[in-house]
Amino acid sequence: MNIRKVAWNNIISSPLNTLLSLMLMTFGVGIISLLLLLNNHMQEQFQNNIRSIDMVVGAKGSPLQLILSSIYHVDNPTGNIPLEEVNKLTKNPLVDFKIPLSYGDSYNGFRIVGTTHQYPKLYEANLAEGQLWNSSMQVVLGDAVSKITNLKIGDEFFGTHGFDENGHVHDNHSYVVVGVFDKTNSVIDNLIITDLKSVWKVHDHAHGEECNHDHDHAHGEECNHDHDHAHGEECDHDHNHEEKDAYDYESLSNDLMITSMLVKFKSPVGIIQMPRKVNETTNMQAALPIFEINRLTNLLGFGVKTINFIALIIMLVSGLSIFISLFNSLKKRKYELALMRVHGATKIQLIKLVLLEGLLLSIVGTFLGLLISRLSLFIISILVNHNQKISNIEFSLINNEIWLVLTAIFIGFLASLIPSFITYKINITKILSNA
Amino acid sequence: MLKSKSLFFNYDTTNKFNFPDIKLKKGDSLLILGESGVGKTTFIHILAGLLRPNSGIIELNGVNYHDLNDRELDLFRGENIGMIFQKPYFVRNLSIYDNLLLALYLSKKQEYKKNIKKILQDIGLANKLNYKPDSLSQGEQQRVAIALAVVKRPSLILADEPTSSLDDKNCNKIIALLKKQAEIANSQLVIITHDKRLKDQFNKSITL
Repeated sequence: MNIRKVAWNNIISSPLNTLLSLMLMTFGVGIISLLLLLNNHMQEQFQNNIRSIDMVVGAKGSPLQLILSSIYHVDNPTGNIPLEEVNKLTKNPLVDFKIPLSYGDSYNGFRIVGTTHQYPKLYEANLAEGQLWNSSMQVVLGDAVSKITNLKIGDEFFGTHGFDENGHVHDNHSYVVVGVFDKTNSVIDNLIITDLKSVWKVHDHAHGEECNHDHDHAHGEECNHDHDHAHGEECDHDHNHEEKDAYDYESLSNDLMITSMLVKFKSPVGIIQMPRKVNETTNMQAALPIFEINRLTNLLGFGVKTINFIALIIMLVSGLSIFISLFNSLKKRKYELALMRVHGATKIQLIKLVLLEGLLLSIVGTFLGLLISRLSLFIISILVNHNQKISNIEFSLINNEIWLVLTAIFIGFLASLIPSFITYKINITKILSNA
Repeated sequence: MLKSKSLFFNYDTTNKFNFPDIKLKKGDSLLILGESGVGKTTFIHILAGLLRPNSGIIELNGVNYHDLNDRELDLFRGENIGMIFQKPYFVRNLSIYDNLLLALYLSKKQEYKKNIKKILQDIGLANKLNYKPDSLSQGEQQRVAIALAVVKRPSLILADEPTSSLDDKNCNKIIALLKKQAEIANSQLVIITHDKRLKDQFNKSITL
């Protein structure tokens, strides 16, 4: 028997009050914690996937769309750009390296990206089995792709135009799997990577040159089901390539198109000079990943802040609920508090009793909140589209959550402060003689 | 040994009380009779160390209350004094058994834990040790209140109107129980009441 046990018994003896206080605290903490976890996950994904890429060059359009599509592979491409023009532009001593990307097709929702061997190297993707491609139509699968599609080395498949599963199937050319990457926890896990030439080969329909450069609208879905060779004019975004035999893309000429070019500079001077040069002197655009992602998180930040604010109010209401139930119970319990004093309890012990009741409620509520946020994240990760899977759910406390826990406990403490002060001030003789 | 000398207490200028001197030895019992408004409860609260007198001396077992600070007096009361009130009080959310345990915990006398079952047997409630106080009858509750006061074997038991809300049958039962338990615990017993029924049951009595 001790004060803790009395506090605990008092809490469980008024289940409805306790449930209300607990639920409010649980939801408040749960919402904020879930947002923190998601935010943490997003930041990690964003940062992890940018790697050292300083600039992305692509067709004119939304710079954010260009970044989302060519670094994170979540949006539609902005259009195509002539390989020759990008090469000319980036043949510059400020450029450390550059990686061309060509994409627009998918298999079972996983994107097929034509690029060079340098791309997997950028993400430190090692082969789990097989080898890298050494000619066109050979592909290497990301870890998640191989697990979910069950494709094995030697398997063949057809790509689908666009990124949903109902697109036109390019059944004239099949891809063959030659390798599988290890898990990298980066965007590579969800990609099917192949040679640039493969993409050109699949889309070998030499059509409409005149409409290459005027698609700064979000496209893709509305015109990817009907691009037969006769009327490719209005939807030529990313299948406007001709196959060339020579593979050295640096020397490939004139009308070959890519979707975007990832560029890393040798010095920060490049970040200042190049994007301006591209945007002002060419028909292409240059976007800076860091800048765009900051812009995006700032945009999201407003919503996140609003929800956080609401959740904080829920936590405060929980504090109020703790306060009200303690305050009400004190009225009923003044006799037993007086009795405890008669038994020999000190004022400090009674204060401890009341504080413990408030703190126990807020601590249990906080714990449940943290548990629920992790459970929700786990459920979200199951429900969410498989190629944007949330892996590595963080079960230990993340940094900002320590503040969340401290705030919640502090609210519980504040809520029990006035009731414990009243306890301190009770007049035993007055209570006991008013029997 | 309980000793009080020239105790005086006033709430305000009209409510002034002078209390008679008392002197008790181990095992003694004393009945203090008085009508309402003569300061009975005030007197018993002073004897319990719940109220400080304006002047005068109280000593229990040679310890002068005046020499103790509030916290020491709380602990001293817990260790040495058991109290019974007109209405029985409990920690409502704890069982009878846990209430007795709590009384021992707060008075730092957990070594008497083994007495709990014996006392509950003596008061005829051994089968109700896991009941909540609210589920007992008035008479049963008052018996538990006695158990709460005596379980720690205090050297002084103070009872404030312990029988005034009870019928004759229960009244006699409670007084007999109280006297017996005081004897077992070898405690001094002071009962303050306006209940004339008790007058014949004690050989030592004073009137306020």
